[in-house]
Amino acid sequence: MGKEECKTMLDALNKVTACYRHLVIALGSTSDSQNLREELKKTRKKAQELAVANRTKLTSLLKDKTISKEDRAEYERLWVLFSSCMELLEVDMKRSLEIAQDFPLKVPTRHLIQTGMTGSTTTVAARAMSVQNMKYEADSNIDTADLRDLQAEITQVSQMMEEMEMKVQVAPWAVEAKQEAGAELKSNMSVGNSSVGVISICEEEPKEEEGGGGSRETGFASICAVIGFFVIVIVALVLGYLVVNM
Amino acid sequence: MTINTLAKGGCHREQMACFRKMEKVIVAMQDPDMGMKMRNQRLLITVIPHAMTGHDIIAWLTHKYRISEEESLHLGNMLVKYGYIYPLKEPRCLVLRPDESPYRFQTPYFWTSTRWPASELDYAIYLAKKNIRKQGELMEYEKERYSLLHKRINHTWDFVVMQAREQLRASKQRRKADRIVLECQEQAYWLINRPPPGVNNVLDTGLERPNNFSCRVTLNSDYYKREIEACRKALGRNRVKSSICLEGFLKYSEQYLNHDPIMQGCLPSNPWISDDTAHWTMNAEIVPVPTRLRVERWSFSFMELLNDAMGRREFMTYLEKEFSAENLYFWQACEDIRHGESSKIVEKVEDIYKNFLAPGAARWVNIDSKTMDKTLEGIKRPHRFVMDDAQMHIYFLMKKRDNDPKCSKITLA
Repeated sequence: MGKEECKTMLDALNKVTACYRHLVIALGSTSDSQNLREELKKTRKKAQELAVANRTKLTSLLKDKTISKEDRAEYERLWVLFSSCMELLEVDMKRSLEIAQDFPLKVPTRHLIQTGMTGSTTTVAARAMSVQNMKYEADSNIDTADLRDLQAEITQVSQMMEEMEMKVQVAPWAVEAKQEAGAELKSNMSVGNSSVGVISICEEEPKEEEGGGGSRETGFASICAVIGFFVIVIVALVLGYLVVNM
Repeated sequence: MTINTLAKGGCHREQMACFRKMEKVIVAMQDPDMGMKMRNQRLLITVIPHAMTGHDIIAWLTHKYRISEEESLHLGNMLVKYGYIYPLKEPRCLVLRPDESPYRFQTPYFWTSTRWPASELDYAIYLAKKNIRKQGELMEYEKERYSLLHKRINHTWDFVVMQAREQLRASKQRRKADRIVLECQEQAYWLINRPPPGVNNVLDTGLERPNNFSCRVTLNSDYYKREIEACRKALGRNRVKSSICLEGFLKYSEQYLNHDPIMQGCLPSNPWISDDTAHWTMNAEIVPVPTRLRVERWSFSFMELLNDAMGRREFMTYLEKEFSAENLYFWQACEDIRHGESSKIVEKVEDIYKNFLAPGAARWVNIDSKTMDKTLEGIKRPHRFVMDDAQMHIYFLMKKRDNDPKCSKITLA
C-alpha cells in the first residue's frame, strides 16, 4: 500500500535528519575529527537519496486524481511532514558548511572549541546509515574537498525545495495533525532513567524530584545488592550444611 | 511549511559585528598554550573535561587584553549573557561569578547568531524532547509555550513528535558524559533564545536597531562596479569652492553681527536677566512701530522682507501703489497652502486657481506658459507642493522688479 511505503520512507528520512543534526552539533567542538566530517558526508548523501525517493513517491501519489479524499488528506499530511524535514535538513546543511569553513581541521593555528564532548559520533552515524559499524575510507583533505561538494549539494537541495513549492499545491494550514499535544508521552520511550539522577547538575528547579529519583535509584540498587549478598550467604550455608552432613 | 527566514533572493542576514568579535575571543581562549586553563567536572560517577572557573576566565581576560579586572568582569559577563559560555551550577542565572563556579564553552552550532535565528519548529522539537525526558514535568511557562506552539504549527506537529523521538534515540547512542553535555548545551541555548518570562531577551535590540555598517563585504566585481558608479555620480555633482563658501559665510556674519543679541546685546535689556519683557513686546509680530534694526534687516535680502509680517505689509502697501500687488497675494496664498492644514489644501488650490490663474481672474498673475501648463496639470491632483514652481517664478519676478532701492528707501523712511 502506498501509504505504508511512504510512511516508512519518511520515517527513514526523519531518522537520518535527526542523526545529521546530532552530527552537526558536534562540528567545531572537541569531538570534531576527520571521521566526523566523513560521517557527515555519508549521512548527507543518504539523506539526499531518501529525500529524492520520498519526493518522487509523494508527488506521484499527489498527482493521482483517482485517490479518495481521506487518502489525499493523508498524503498531504505526509507532504507537509516531508517538507518540514527538508527545511531542517537544508538549514543544517548550510550551517554545517559555515561551521566547517570556520573550523578547518588541518590548520594548526585554528583550534577546536573545548565543549566537554570528547566521545566519537560513530554510533550515531551508524544509526543513520543503518549499518552495524562505520567504515572510514576518506582521504586526508576531506575538510576542503568536501566543502565544495557540500556547496553543490546545498544548491541542489534548495532547488529541489523550490520546485516542490512550485509544483505541488498543498496548503499546509489545511493539514491537521494526528497527534494531540503531549502525544510523545504516551509512547513507551523509557528515556535513560540512569541519566535522571545526574541531570540534577544541569537543572535547578526539579532538583528535589531528580535528586529523590537518583537516590531512589541508588537506594534500590543497594537494596538489590544486599539481598543478593544474603541469598549467596544462605546458599553457601545450605551447601556447607549439606557438605558437613554428608 | 514554516516561513523560511532565509528568503530566497531576499536580503542575506549577517552576523552582528559584536557576535563576531565575541567569537574571536572564544576561539583565542582555545589555544592549548596561551588559552584557558581547563579543569575536570566531577559528577557522581562521570568526569567531564573542559570546565573552567569564573575566576580563571577573568584572570585570562585581564592577562590577554591587558585590561582592568572590572572591565574583564564586564566582558566575561557579556560572553555569558550571549551564550558563548554557560554556567554549570546554576544554569538559569546567566552571570559570570568571579569565584570557583564552573563554566563551559558552548558548541559553535549553538552560538548566538543573527544569521541563523532560532525557529519555532526547533523550539517545539526541544520542548517535545524535554517533555519526554521529564515525563510531562515542564515548567509553567514552558507548558504554556508548548500549547501555544501546538496550536500555531499544528500542521507539522506530527513531525515535531517524530523528530523529537528520533533525536532522543540518536543521542542515546553516545556515551553518558557526552549526553549530559549535550543536554546542558541545548538548555543553555534555549534559555537565551527563548528566555523565561521576566528575563530580558538579549537579542531584543529595542527601538534602536543597531547599524551593521562594519559588515563584511566581498570584494568581487559587483562591489567594484557599484563603487565606480558611486564615484562617477559624485564627480558629476556641483561643488562650490570652499573659499567661496567661506567668503559668503564671512559676509553673512559681518552683516548680521549687529543684529545678533548674543554678540551685540539686546536693547533695552535681556529679558532673561532683567525680567523686563520690553524687548519681546517691541519685537512682536505686529507692532505699531517696528524697530530700526528690524527694518534694516529687510534691506539685507528679499527673503527677510517676505518672512517678516510687518515687512510684508509694507511691501504690500508699496505694491498696491504700483498696481502690482497680486504677485504678493499669490505668493502669500501659496505659502498658506504649503504650511497649512492638509484637509484644506484642495479648497485652497481651488481658490488660488479661481483668483489668480484662471483666464480673466480678478488678480491674474503673469506666469510663463511652461510653468502655467505644469501647474494646471498639477491642479488636477492637488497636493501641498503643487504651486511650488509658480510660486518660485513669482518670487523671482518680485525680487527683480519690485525689490529695488526705491522700495527699501520707502520702507526705511
